[in-house]
This record gives sequence, structure tokens and C-alpha cells, in this order.
Amino acid sequence: MTADMRRSPGPSPADPRVVGGLDYSIDHHVPGAWHLRLVRSDVAAGRVVDIDTTGVESDVTIITPADVAAYGTFGCQIADQRVLAAEPKFAGDPVVAVVAPTPEAAREAAASIQLDYDEAHGVFNEFEAATASAPLVHTSHASASGDAAYFAMRPLDGTNVCHRFRIRTPELRGYDEPELIRELPPLDDATMSDAFAGSDIVVEETFRTPAAAHVPMEPHATTAQWVDGRLEVITGTQTPFNLRQDLAALFGLDPADVRVVAPAMGGSFGAKTFMRTEAITAVAAAFTGKPVRCVLDRDEVFSEVTRHASTVWMRMGATREGRFVAKQMVAYVNTGAYADCGPGVAQKLGYAGVGPYRFDHVAVDSYCTYTNLPPAGAFRGYGAMQSAWASERLVDMLAGELHIDPVELRRMNLLRDGDAFCTGEIMHDTHFEELLDDAAKAVAWNDGRDGKGVAIILKGMQTPSRAEVAIHALPDGRFEVRSATADMGQGAPEALTRMAADVLGVPPEHIVVPPPDTDLAPYDTRTTSSRSTHMMSRALAAAADDLRANGTVGHGRIVNDGGLDPDTGTGVASSHWHQGAAAAHVDVDDETGIIDVRSLYATSYAGRVVHRAAAELQNEGSMIMSLGTALFEELTYVDGQLVNPNLSEYNIASALDGATIHHRLLETPGAEVHGLGETAVPPVPPALGNAVASLGYHPCRLPMTPERVLASRVHPRQEAP
Amino acid sequence: MSWHMPTTVDEVLRLKASKPDATVVAGGTFLGLVIRQGLLDSDEWISLQNVDELRAFGTAGDLSAGAMVTHRRIETEPAVRRDWPGVAEAFGVVASPRVRNVATIGGVLADADYASDPPAMLVASRAVAEVASVRGMRRVPIEELIVGHYETELDDDEIITRVLVPRPTGSAAYRKLRTRSREDRPAVSVAAVRETGGVRVVVGAVSDRPRHYPDICAEWRPGDEQSTREVAAAYADRIPCLDDGRGSAEYRRQVVSVEVRRALMQVSR
Repeated sequence: MTADMRRSPGPSPADPRVVGGLDYSIDHHVPGAWHLRLVRSDVAAGRVVDIDTTGVESDVTIITPADVAAYGTFGCQIADQRVLAAEPKFAGDPVVAVVAPTPEAAREAAASIQLDYDEAHGVFNEFEAATASAPLVHTSHASASGDAAYFAMRPLDGTNVCHRFRIRTPELRGYDEPELIRELPPLDDATMSDAFAGSDIVVEETFRTPAAAHVPMEPHATTAQWVDGRLEVITGTQTPFNLRQDLAALFGLDPADVRVVAPAMGGSFGAKTFMRTEAITAVAAAFTGKPVRCVLDRDEVFSEVTRHASTVWMRMGATREGRFVAKQMVAYVNTGAYADCGPGVAQKLGYAGVGPYRFDHVAVDSYCTYTNLPPAGAFRGYGAMQSAWASERLVDMLAGELHIDPVELRRMNLLRDGDAFCTGEIMHDTHFEELLDDAAKAVAWNDGRDGKGVAIILKGMQTPSRAEVAIHALPDGRFEVRSATADMGQGAPEALTRMAADVLGVPPEHIVVPPPDTDLAPYDTRTTSSRSTHMMSRALAAAADDLRANGTVGHGRIVNDGGLDPDTGTGVASSHWHQGAAAAHVDVDDETGIIDVRSLYATSYAGRVVHRAAAELQNEGSMIMSLGTALFEELTYVDGQLVNPNLSEYNIASALDGATIHHRLLETPGAEVHGLGETAVPPVPPALGNAVASLGYHPCRLPMTPERVLASRVHPRQEAP
Repeated sequence: MSWHMPTTVDEVLRLKASKPDATVVAGGTFLGLVIRQGLLDSDEWISLQNVDELRAFGTAGDLSAGAMVTHRRIETEPAVRRDWPGVAEAFGVVASPRVRNVATIGGVLADADYASDPPAMLVASRAVAEVASVRGMRRVPIEELIVGHYETELDDDEIITRVLVPRPTGSAAYRKLRTRSREDRPAVSVAAVRETGGVRVVVGAVSDRPRHYPDICAEWRPGDEQSTREVAAAYADRIPCLDDGRGSAEYRRQVVSVEVRRALMQVSR
């Protein structure tokens, strides 16, 4: 890292993002493109028995489920989705596509089509979906074969569980256990009684998180066209190579015959990952022989993909002195109608819920369950938030029982270099104690604890994973960096520019970074899990070495091996750990339940910072997003129908809500570049929850609305005379 | 679809008389939402954007605001902040500056949305709307103008041209309780305005229209904690509260008694 890079300010006034000059996916207009609208199911479960298209003008192309029956199923981890649904599985499932010369004509045609259904009973809650009497959303489970299915799936046939992830530390293995835990096991359960035998105090609780929306400012926008037998797709996506692979499989093409171009996205937060509107748009282009454009309306974005609602039941045991002995967790993760990357979320939620602590024994069962809600997928924080909410609230409950200070109790049990995590991997480069102390200091922990709370988390990076990058020396003396790292507002091109300039020893003005194009850029796993700056920093160093050795083109390739056994949780969960802490100081109005956030602080381990302004914005953005999660964001469904698909009824945090946040990037000179795109997401809700709990409440359910806060009061308020 | 852009009030009234089904657009913040949500469609639109006389503004006697005066103007105008601080407060807590820069006083009354901030304070302040049509002009107290969910006393050929707020003779409080983001609408709002011989307490955002009960207000003894609690409890008992995403009816009932009490304590001083 050179001094110049460290001093650099944020985006310059001429930055195209600042002056409105950046072409997002939605701005890419291919001449002659027709327009796609989807007719969506009104029912959450059932079968379409009639499609009445008599009101549709003759120049409109109508595509029905029967028209696309020849196409197979797709899905990044489980192949459970069809291009159009004859048997819709959530309210909003696309049933019919119409393609017309103008957006208005497409909208009019879609509105005139009438669907008739044979409606069926649906199931909506993740815990109820796992019961024996629940209707089955899918009757079979077919694992996907693409790169995104990076671990063995463990579907439980005859149930709504499409994946079960387990952790059993060595002494808890070999017991005869039910495949699916449908009732929370009692403490004298045979398997666990030994695990908790050494505990003087055991605490347990159930914690809930609802579905939530990503709310990218730019909706999903895709244009597809067929050019000389090749499929070309321009779309906002974090996963260009996964998408190329899945589209190729759907159309029976060689992946090289699919081109995915990913212009900058106006926000994503996980919403634009894997196959979204690209499949039907490409099919529509094939049907019409024209370029086809599909842009979702805001209400459609709310149901395109969501965050996993979850029910997490957790038990912890400790000695009287405060040493953690055992943890047991059973989580039900609501993946909605289609699995998407839900199995991966269930896995990451599973190990993140153990937290950055040493335990003698750990047992985790994390079930990814289908329901008749919109599909849930990647969401900033990726499951770690839902389980950290449970884990870090429970640590404070335990501290209360033990009469030990919550910060001290954490400190006694934190993972340090050389300790084994529950997966068996040995921890390295740990900074938990420093983060914890920093968070506690930020709220003056030692000056009284009323209204204060802390939380500390670990979060994994996508493992295994592979990053490749090519540096081309241009004739004019500049260098072009070809990478599939997508720009979703996090400033990927700027980070790539700075890192490339650094390894090549040239000024940043000599670096050119075009948007991801699978025809030009080499393979990269995807732009998720805060992996890209970390992985690309290493790939770029290798590419620069190669360029120096080989002349005009340098190629860098970094592979991180690892992965977890789905039945024992053994292996390498993450080659690189995201480590973060948060602290909150709140007042609670005991008559209205309103939480007044006096101060909210997050501290994230950053290693070596590449671009200070962007890194700070990532940390702040994570906090603001998670503040909404903690206090008010919730997708509300009534019988499977979303009742708040707009921004007046689904509030996100405003500038005023974020007025009291402050934060820190914990740096180590010369260290590796660390991902930090979401590190501050998971610790914020439990830090706020613990702060609220310190005032005599027991919040277990997100968001902590004033009404729920009042209902969670531990000691009933004395009525005024 | 036709979009009309009249430049005088007379022109607006003639248009409205000839096209009683036409939708009148002021700032567009409310209509924009309901159109996007598919709740409203119209073949004829009359925009008030170019009608300069509807932006007339005066504070010499009563506060006089033309229908097209923005929330932001009322919030920031020094004379309003000084002499009608409760009114400035109620307009200043609406949504965000982006919304307040375009939302108008005529619009917020005509749309009669139960969850808006200004109506409760305007009712408490004895504000009156001037309502005009080709048939003439009449004055309607805001208390009588809003009759239910998105429903006003306006006839099909009428528009609001001006709002008059008398000069306050006592203190005022506006309390807005938000349960979600800081840009949200209120879950409960309470406007309390002292006047000679009493107080006007109006509760907004908890039922179909602002709720004012003179008989309950008459029982209030300024500074007396017992009567303050009784008035607050009586408001909570009397109002038929509704459920929505901002809070359940039960929660609202509970909070109405808290917030009315607090508002009355504020105007006791």
C-alpha cells in the first residue's frame, strides 16, 4: 500500500456515478427490443386450469407454461424451478409471459389476461413447514449440478426440507438420531445430556427473524438477444459465470455460446444473484426472434427474492465460572417456493450461530425448508445475521444468569489464534478481543451499563472459491483489467484500479476496468460474501507477476479450497474470517416502547484498507441496513399474500435514522486485504437487542417494533395511581 | 387521457365544472403513490402547477395559504414559526424535505389520508378551507371538511383554493409517534391547542379522520394531573382505532392515552 492510495478521497466530482453518467443495466437499450411483462399467480399454491387470452392484441406474443414445457428445471443449488409455472408455488410466481413492441402494449396485454386456478392449501411458516402434516411444496428434490452447488445436498425426502446441515463435534457423533427434529428436544435428550453434563447453568430461547427486502434502487433489468446461435444477455448480476452456466444448461448450449455482460448495478445486496428474470427473457427472445427487455416494477422486486425468515432455537451451557461448555442449535430457514441458494444460507447460518467462541461440544441442525412464499436467497449478511441475533442475545441471557458482565463473559470464551472452531479448523488472524474492547469502549461500557449492549460475530467467506483475472497491456501504455467482479455500488472498479496500480507500480490513471463480460473476463466464482476485494487482490498480484514474465497478457488465478461435511460440519468453513462487533446505547420509552438510539457503533476487522472512503461507506451502509432490520423492516404476508410491497408500507432506514451511527475499520498494516461488505450487518440487531434487554425487556423477535418491545417487558410496569 | 394545465382559478373551476370526474393534481405526492399502486386511474387530469394565485401567502392577520403553498414554505416561513409554531411543527415533520418541497396544503386536505400529519393540527387550530366552484365560494372548517377515509365534503365541481388559520391565543403542541423509519407517517399523532377558556385536542392517524371531542376537552383543568389523565383515557376509550402496518388497534389505544396526556402537559406550561 502506497501512501498516495491511503490519502485518496472518495469519488471525484467527475465520477460518472456522481454526475449521472453511469449506464446501469436499466439504461442499456438494444435497438428493436420488444418488451416483456409477466402475468403472475394470484394464489400461493395450486394449479392453473385456464389461461384466457382473448383480450390480447394480435401483435403480442404470449408464452404459456405449455409453450416452455420442453425446457428443463433450473436452480443454483437445487433444480426446482421452471421458466413459467403451471403449478404456481407462491403468490407472484410467473405463469404467463407477454412480449410486445412497446412497454405500454406489454403492460396492457398482461393486464387483460385472466387466469383460473385450482387452488391448494399452502404452508408459510418455516417451522410449520417441517411438521408431518404440512403440504409438500415440492414432491421431489433434485440437486443442481452447477458450480453454485458446492457441497452435497441433504434433502429429506417426503418433507419440505430441501437441505439439512449438521454440526456434531466429535463426542456427539454416532448417536441414533431422527433425520428431522420436529420438536425441540428436551435437555435430558440422550444425545445432548452428555454434552450439557458439565454445565452448571443452561439457558435456552427461540429467536425469530422475518423475511425482508433488499430494496435495490434499480430494479432487476435484463435484455436478451440471440446472435448467430449465441445467447447474449445484458443484466445486472453479481453472478455472471453462474448465470452463464445455468443459461447454457437450460438451452443445451456450450457455456462458451452464452455471453453475460453485467453493467454496474444500482444496488443489489444479494437481490441480483443467480437466475432471476434472465431465463424467461432469453426464452422470450428465442420465441420472438427479437431482442427482449424485461424491467421489473417495484412491487415485483419485493417478491423476486427475499431474505430468509427463520426460527432459531438455541441452548447454551456454561460452568458457574463462565466457561462455555456446550451449544445446541436447531434452525428452520424459510427458503420460500424455490431453494435458490437457501441450502448455502442454512449452512452459513448454522456455523455462524456458534459464534466466535470455544465450546467443548456443539450440535447444530439447520433445516432449509420450502414454503409457499416468494423465494429467499442471498441477502447481505447471508444467514449470519439471523443466527447471531439468537446467539448474541443468548450470551447476554447467560451472563444475566451467571451474574457475570456480558463483555467479560465474551472475553473469557473468545476464539484466539490456534483455537479450534466447531468445524475443526484452526483459527488464525483472529482479532475478536480487540474488536470487543473497541465496541465496549465506544459506549463507555465501564461508566454504567443501563441501556447498553454489545455483540460480536464471525462470518465466513465463500469457500471453496476461485478468482481469476487477466491484465492486458494496451498499446497506449495503459493496462486493462478483465475481471468478472461486478459493481453493485460497492466500488469494485475503483478497488480493482487501485490494487492493479499498486501491483503494477503505475498511476491509477493508467488502469482501465471494463464491466464484467464473460466473453472477455476469465472465470470468477461470483461477487458475493465479501470475497472479491480479498480474492482479487491476490489474483491481481499473481497476474502482475505473470505479465512481467510473459509480456502483453498476465493471468492470475487463486483457488481457496475447503468446504464442510454436511453431516458433521467438519472441514474448512471459511479460508478467511469476517470479524466484527457492535455496541449500542439506547433509551426505551416505557409507555410507548419506542427505542431511541442514542449511539450505534460497529467495528469491523479490515486488514489492509484499499480504498478508505469506499470501505467506510460499506461499513456505514451495513449498519444503516441492519438498523432497519433491527427496528422495523419486515415483509408482512397474510395467507401468503404480501401486504406491503411498496416503500410507503415497507420502510427502509432514512438518513435521520442513521444520524447516531459511528464506526471503525480495524486495520493492521501489511495484513491481507479483508472483505468488509457486510461484516457490520450481523452484530447490529443483537447489540441493539441487548441494549434494550438491559432496561428490563426480553426481545426475541425481529424487528423490535415498539409494540413488541412493550410486550416483551420482563417486569410489569407499576400502574400509576 | 388528457392533461389540462390551466393558469387561473377561474379556468380551473370552469374545467372542473365541465369535467366533474377529472382528477385535480396539486403536488402529486399522494396521487403518485396511489396511481403507482393501481388504486386510481383517470382519463382527465387538471394540474394546478401553473396557477400562480394559488401560491399566495400571507401572515398579516390570519395565516392565509393558497392551496398550492408547499409544506416546506409553511415549515420554514419565519412568521409562521413565530406566530403559528404548532402549525409549522406539524408541516415540518412530514416525510422528508424532498416530499415537503412539493406536497401542498390543499393537497393534503383534499386527499384526506388518515395518516397525514397536518390535518390534526389544522383542526385543532380552527383552520378553515375556502372551497370554490363556478357556483361560488364557501368556507368549510377543516373539522367538517374531512369526513372519512379519503373522503371530503367537496362536491365534484369544487376545489380548495385557500386555507385560513386564525392567530393562536395560547400554546400549541404537536406530538408525532413514529413506529418505523423517521420518514414514516405517524402511528399516532396528537395536536393540542390552548385557547381562551380551554383546549382543543385532536388525535390523528388512528382512525378514519382526525378525532376531536369538545365534551371531553371541556373536562380538562390546566396543570391538573388527574384531569389530564382522565381526558387522555377518555380519548383512548372513545376513538375507534384501526390496525395497519404501523401498529395494532390495541397498541394505538394504549398510546393515545399516553400521547394525549403528554400533549396536554406540554400545553399546561
